[in-house]
Amino acid sequence: MKKLTLILAITAGLAGRLSAATAESSKIFTPFFDMTLAENGYMPSEGNIFSGGNINTQVGLLAKITEKDQVFGLYNFNYGGPGFAPQDTKQFTDRTLTHGFNFEYRRSLGGHWRVRPGISLSKDYTRSGANETWDQGLYNTESKGFQLAVDYSFDAAHNGFITAQFLTRSIEFPNYTDLFQEFMNPSVTSELSGGQQDQRLTQVSLRPNWNKFFGGVTYTMQKYKNQKVVGATGVATYGDTSEKQEDTTTTLDFGFHHKLWIFELYPVIAYSVHDSNQNYIRYKSIGDVSPYFMADNYSYKELSFSVPLDLNITSKWAVGGAMSVVKRNYESRLRRDKFNNYVAGEKQENTMTTLTGSIRKRINDVAMVRLSYSLVVASSNNEFEQYMPYNYTGNSFGIAYQLSY
Amino acid sequence: MRKIVLLTLCLGLPAGQARAEIDWESKGMQIAGEILANPAAFLYEFQQDLEGTTPLPPGKRYGFQTGLWGGALPTIGVMPSLSGKFRLHGEGRLSPGLPQLDLIGGYWNSPLAGMAADQSDDITDTKFNGHYYGFLLSSSVSPRVRTFWGFKKSQLKAKISFAPTADIKLLGTPVNDIDTGFEDSFFVVGLESPKGLNKLWSIQLNYGMDTQTIASKVSWYGKYFELGLNIYPEGVFVVHPVWNFHLNF
Repeated sequence: MKKLTLILAITAGLAGRLSAATAESSKIFTPFFDMTLAENGYMPSEGNIFSGGNINTQVGLLAKITEKDQVFGLYNFNYGGPGFAPQDTKQFTDRTLTHGFNFEYRRSLGGHWRVRPGISLSKDYTRSGANETWDQGLYNTESKGFQLAVDYSFDAAHNGFITAQFLTRSIEFPNYTDLFQEFMNPSVTSELSGGQQDQRLTQVSLRPNWNKFFGGVTYTMQKYKNQKVVGATGVATYGDTSEKQEDTTTTLDFGFHHKLWIFELYPVIAYSVHDSNQNYIRYKSIGDVSPYFMADNYSYKELSFSVPLDLNITSKWAVGGAMSVVKRNYESRLRRDKFNNYVAGEKQENTMTTLTGSIRKRINDVAMVRLSYSLVVASSNNEFEQYMPYNYTGNSFGIAYQLSY
Repeated sequence: MRKIVLLTLCLGLPAGQARAEIDWESKGMQIAGEILANPAAFLYEFQQDLEGTTPLPPGKRYGFQTGLWGGALPTIGVMPSLSGKFRLHGEGRLSPGLPQLDLIGGYWNSPLAGMAADQSDDITDTKFNGHYYGFLLSSSVSPRVRTFWGFKKSQLKAKISFAPTADIKLLGTPVNDIDTGFEDSFFVVGLESPKGLNKLWSIQLNYGMDTQTIASKVSWYGKYFELGLNIYPEGVFVVHPVWNFHLNF
């Protein structure tokens, strides 16, 4: 599940930023630079204190070949360190490292239309502690693919345009091994367990923008190349079914970024429907002879919204507040009590709420620094928390620099 | 003032609900474990504190730098260093738009290593030094913004040899010597912006391509001094306050 979250975030994030770079009319080459650096200290009610940072660096160059033809190259470095995260996504200590390359050709067609075919390569590293090596992360991935975007400009005065995009990625997990499969079939481990997370990701989206209002609908399909659906009869049928895993996610989102007097508001709301045909078998112990079969374990609906508000006290200083909520309701998965027993008739629900207060200083016209405090309240009706915390509160204090050109 | 008090209360009240018992002993063991797992990488963070990886200011041809403070160490005493920068090409000199090209490099050697060998009968030989070299390309993208990117090769050596008569044990195992080191090639990218007359502000990322070492630096510098916050998100001590002295000509 954490890979799904990561892949969707990276794919959506990078694809979204591609259209952000625009050529300055007088220049042949226009650089694009965006760097965000954040470091936080975390104090959860469950577990010990820890620190974690986030670094996102994008370096790009837009070359204007003719008035109608442009080429854009973008390198994206992203580091996501330890931190609080919505339940069922990642551990506090998990960290990721991503190198992404995008090359895009842009061709203007008439006054309103523009096509943007492109290719993408990325390499992701994961690990759960600083004492592990990045190269050997179980969920490391290598991704390659292409995309085609079409922009239609309908109101140039208010930056109004609609973007339709199709993208596809082949994602491989070179280190992934299925420990359960190896345990059950120790003599044929590598042949059976290799490549089970390898997948083809396809995404189509339609996203209108107008006057700093934005939104859209995104449909993502993940077809696993080898991973089969877990059968209902447990050990004996694991992998015997010919059905392979397929996941789809449909997301609707809307947001805007507007200023009114000293108020600067940039809320975002998103609603996702994730559907997976994968099931789950719970073994309470290695010798469990009657494992519990949970059909449709991974399908859910998720509502998330974030409402940040900054009060620009002066041209340099601002105080801000934000509230963000992520609420996930599983379609079929039952909640578990603290003894790892499924509770009949009660489906699992997770909620994570984050309240943030911050002080922002604008260093100059391209850079700002923000000091922030956040209170996180995570709650779930799932009481089995041996491997991942579901119910906790946490404080975090942080400093973040942002520089964009 | 009322607003400040109110804000403090708002932030402080919920903080009480989430207060956890901090297990300092466990945290200390975790930190010790991370140092033991890769001592050279830990020591290298202090070398990065004294490395000069920002471009020469426009109009300057060469410069020198030495580290005064890095992390929790007075690097001027523990790791005395000398760094240099030399401009090979000024921006736009040979051709319009051609970036400025600086060569960078430096060396440090700890006197504590020799002192330990001299004053202890159990220690026969020690080495604790490092160096780096590379280049930086910088290009103005507006009157107030200059981007820079480049490459550096860094190396650190740390070695301590014990006398055969010394009964040194590490976790119960006899140890004759500890020989560790760090070496990597880094990709450097950053952006610089003026803060005032002869005052600059920059943010940069250093990424080690072999070891995936990550370092980000935010620094303010003027005619003589550089003040910075070096952040090593995967490091043992994540935030290093940095103070360096430099002269540019």
